[in-house]
Amino acid sequence: MSILSVRGLVKKYPAFTLGPVSFDLEPGRITGFIGRNGAGKTTTLKSMLGFVHPDAGDVEFFGLGFKDHEAAIKSRIGFVSGGVDYYSQKKIKTIASVTAGFYANWDAGAYSGLMDRFRLDPEKTPAQLSEGMKVKFSLCLALSHKAELLVLDEPTSGLDPVSRDELLDVFLDLKASGVTILFSTHITSDLDKCADRILYIRSGRLLADSTIEGFLDEYRLAVAGPQGFAPEQEKALAGLRRTRDGASGLFRKSDAEALGLACEKPSLESAMVHLEKEFQS
Amino acid sequence: MIKLLSKELRLAMHPTSLIFLGLSALILVPNYPYLVTFFYTGLGVFFTCLSGRENHDIAYSVALPVRKSDVVKARFIFVAAIELVQAAIVVPFALLRARMPLPGNQVGMDANVAFFGFALLSLGIFNAVFFGIYYKDVRKVGKAFGAASAWVFAYITAVEAACHVVPLFRDRLDRPDPEELGLKLAALALGALAYVALTVAAYFRARRDFERQDL
Repeated sequence: MSILSVRGLVKKYPAFTLGPVSFDLEPGRITGFIGRNGAGKTTTLKSMLGFVHPDAGDVEFFGLGFKDHEAAIKSRIGFVSGGVDYYSQKKIKTIASVTAGFYANWDAGAYSGLMDRFRLDPEKTPAQLSEGMKVKFSLCLALSHKAELLVLDEPTSGLDPVSRDELLDVFLDLKASGVTILFSTHITSDLDKCADRILYIRSGRLLADSTIEGFLDEYRLAVAGPQGFAPEQEKALAGLRRTRDGASGLFRKSDAEALGLACEKPSLESAMVHLEKEFQS
Repeated sequence: MIKLLSKELRLAMHPTSLIFLGLSALILVPNYPYLVTFFYTGLGVFFTCLSGRENHDIAYSVALPVRKSDVVKARFIFVAAIELVQAAIVVPFALLRARMPLPGNQVGMDANVAFFGFALLSLGIFNAVFFGIYYKDVRKVGKAFGAASAWVFAYITAVEAACHVVPLFRDRLDRPDPEELGLKLAALALGALAYVALTVAAYFRARRDFERQDL
């Protein structure tokens, strides 16, 4: 049974349409949800959780339909959207105390452990926290009720590199204890460290749903001098990016082999940048 | 629901909601449009919703393990509780005002039994108009409050004016208790029924609108 099953999710806005988006999450895996700003990551997550009213599609968590089991499902998941930006003048111990009351399985020990680990002062208010500390407090709340699935919308944005690395360590610890994590990001190096799979969304459509290795293995990166690629090579380009000395091109692996190009496997970031640039042009 | 109400009290409620309860003492002012006293409760509700918008109360609430519709229900119960507490607080001030060695209220209606019926209706109008707009788009609190204020003040003006020109009001309803008690009790009952009907209807409409809303 998949932890999360999304089928044919569609949300239409006047200037943007999401979907149809379909994917599944397997238990105990970390899945990175990537795409550039405005690609539809947050809309997908909000539609899954009913914050945004989708025009079509079905969402099941733990085999339960979201519409009929909203409260039960929410008690088994943790959702973080950026840092804590609510009740800016209330002490965070008050916010935590109120939040804890909603969860039968709130783990006070885990909460204080995370507060210590993130060096958070419960006497402070969100207004007194830096953006990074707000994200950390938000994570403390999400991680303290033994959530089976964590849905995190850009949890690492706003964090310094050391804090980001600490957070990714937390993700790996949680994964080891069987927690499933879906987190959106546009920082691809986060995924290199901890993600098992990626969902890559571009302009409202899922472009990839696979392991990082599997996704990257479909492409090859080749470099051209100032004269650029030959016309037959240009036809096969999946993405083109200008560089200081000329250009770099992303090709389907089969095309690169057929053309006999000298190339290498791309990094996730370079694959994403090339694909996005091609799409724009 | 109790947990959500606790959240309303500990995190969402703006302090003015409590402070304005103290304005119930305005009933002791010898000549004053006493119905305005109840408008301040609406003002407190507005401040709570406004501060909720600034403090992202809705985003926090809908992420909790509750149904989206429960968030609306909790807010309505909280608001109804504040309104009824205010009505209860006004009672001793009204009794005290009746015993003051002064003539009745020269501006508008005396704080008598019928007055509470009209006061409850003003709260029902506020709830119907304010929440009817607010839950269509929780970001537009000012628009909801502007419309609700206009309706409530039009109603207050009509009632207070009626006490000067409409015989039923001037000669029978706007009289010291216990004169015309049967008629006044009927006015109270009708006001209370209208309050419940308007508030419950506003709740069901708000629940539907909030469910459809993209947050």
